Amino acid sequence: MTLRWILIVISLVLVASAATADKKYGKQVRFAGIHPIPKAEGGGICYIEGPHVHIYAANKIEYRTHGDDNVFVGDPVAYGWDGPKYTYKGPHPIHVEAVVGGDPDVEYCYLDGPHYHYFQPPEGPDFKVVGGAYFYVSEPPRVFIDTRPTYVGINAVYRPIVYARPVVEVEAPVGWVGARVEFIGPGVAAGGRGVMVAPAARVGAEVHIPVPSVHVGVEIGGPAVIVHERPAPAVIVVPHGKYKHKKYKGRW
Amino acid sequence: MRLAWITLATLVAACTKQGSDKPSSRDGVIAAWKKAGLEPSSFTPATTQVGKDCVSATVNKLDVLICSFGFEQEAKVAEDNGLAWIGDATGASRAQGSTLIVVADRHKADPSGRTINQLVTLRTK
Repeated sequence: MTLRWILIVISLVLVASAATADKKYGKQVRFAGIHPIPKAEGGGICYIEGPHVHIYAANKIEYRTHGDDNVFVGDPVAYGWDGPKYTYKGPHPIHVEAVVGGDPDVEYCYLDGPHYHYFQPPEGPDFKVVGGAYFYVSEPPRVFIDTRPTYVGINAVYRPIVYARPVVEVEAPVGWVGARVEFIGPGVAAGGRGVMVAPAARVGAEVHIPVPSVHVGVEIGGPAVIVHERPAPAVIVVPHGKYKHKKYKGRW
Repeated sequence: MRLAWITLATLVAACTKQGSDKPSSRDGVIAAWKKAGLEPSSFTPATTQVGKDCVSATVNKLDVLICSFGFEQEAKVAEDNGLAWIGDATGASRAQGSTLIVVADRHKADPSGRTINQLVTLRTK
């Protein structure tokens, strides 16, 4: 009898402490900053800056946790964002505290090619602006490389989305992280083949080796994206049918 | 002795200023909303777990709670209680100085969150 009561009390304490630690109330999920609204909830963009709550979940690939909050690290323009936007090319770190406040926290964006964010990177030597786009040119931290396999699938989510993508038609600066072998792999380099694309879209890739340039042309509903890149140590072409997008289809 | 008087005078001045700020902060928030074209209904005293000095109303069909606190830190700490007041709905709980603003969209009146954002970010002049 006594043991049962002890177990009950311990269970209650654990449940109570877990609830407090999560800082959740009912079905609430905490977000910080603007983000897309799931199609099932009406779609579009949630324009609430700073911390707020919804009663739907954040997916694991386009969001990172920052304290108790989920922060969107994808391209909001793909979902209809019409506010300030800044062009980036290739993977890069995000200083989350500079975007939504809170404690210092560096997360990583693994979107290949040109894309938008609604925030600028912090000033400093880590980013170079060429042709109006931010290129990350610093030595990537180990964690940036190690967590890439977890998040690189984000490219498969965005590839079929039809929207006005940024146009970057310049040679990438020396030291650009996108040319490093650690950042070339499935869904990166000439990964247009075998990808499910909207009917009106066209994806093409030309790879010239050993000519010291790679020309990739992509047209998906919006302006053409023409990127001239420095030669990468290796070019990996994604096999047909590698990404079918079934996992994320209809979720966002 | 002189130091004690100076300290006492400073404390009295601080408390007096704090007290005089309370109504103007709340009124200032509501005035800023009206100036931005939002349409608050009449605010009435509210009894909640969020704070002891709260008023509630609707603004553009959103449920809004405004609570006044003695100190900025108290308002900041009460943000979590504000989230509990929101319940199972989209909403935000944000301290502005010693005033806490809590907004709940219980009727899905603001699907894009633009009005909620205005309510929690508009600053009093």
